Amino acid sequence: MWCFIAQDGFSFGGLLLAYGILRFTAVDWPRPDHVLGIGLTAVATFILILSSVSMVMSVEAAKACDQKRTAKWLGLTILGGLTFLGIQAYEYTHLVGLGIGFTSSVFDGVDINDLFGSTFYAVTGFHGLHVTAGVIYLMCIYRGVLKGKYTQGGMSYSAVELVGLFWHFVDLVWILVFTFIYLL
Amino acid sequence: MNDSSHTSSEHGAAAAHGDGHHGSMVGTYVTVLLVLAFLTVIEIFVPIVYDAGHNGAIKMLLLVSLAFGKAMIVAWYFMHLKWEARWVRWVAAMPIYMGIFAVLLMLESYYRGVGIQG
Repeated sequence: MWCFIAQDGFSFGGLLLAYGILRFTAVDWPRPDHVLGIGLTAVATFILILSSVSMVMSVEAAKACDQKRTAKWLGLTILGGLTFLGIQAYEYTHLVGLGIGFTSSVFDGVDINDLFGSTFYAVTGFHGLHVTAGVIYLMCIYRGVLKGKYTQGGMSYSAVELVGLFWHFVDLVWILVFTFIYLL
Repeated sequence: MNDSSHTSSEHGAAAAHGDGHHGSMVGTYVTVLLVLAFLTVIEIFVPIVYDAGHNGAIKMLLLVSLAFGKAMIVAWYFMHLKWEARWVRWVAAMPIYMGIFAVLLMLESYYRGVGIQG
């Protein structure tokens, strides 16, 4: 899992690198915090951090062979991921309504650098796909938890720990994306 | 790769080992959550404080260090790197190379752009 995360980190690194170069060399890049809604995204960021906490709680419960608590915390993690995706879907709809598209960006009736929309959707969309994959992965593990597969002591909890690693990685990447795309 | 996590727990100190370990970890996680929340609030205020467009370098430095600091905290505590073997930490640290690469390429293309314009 660590090797996968490292190579996935390179994928995100590549996207952020391209974004950095395009933005750094552009003369008419708009201030992201003037175009994007920081407040709502801050809430989404906080929800993702909370879902990381519920994830570690679930791993601890699985280590302690407590099936009920493992399921409860894992369920809350899934709920956090779904809420994040819901907020992102709302945000995309809102931005498209404003005129920020994948290939052309219009804000307040004025044409802005088209790359603003392109890089925004490429980076946050790639991350959103990771959240979606993570939620599906979490749901598969949740099924196993309900069957009692991962709370039998020994190393049986490791499947929960591994999904946790992936989930924290998605959270970690979002922390960087939130800063670079929204705040900087 | 998970056995090393036991070194941090009070092995055998508590009568019920599972509960003792659990209790100590919950405290750590809550502290980490509070630190992350606090840093996020600071982060959100940085662009508001530096709204006038001046001090762009300070704003960038503040935001980038806050973001990487938070990312390190998540990796260190939530992803249990604190309790992992050294080689796992090295594997996890590999993508940091992209950061160095990014800075170099951004500076290069920036100065090339300035050269073309001037």
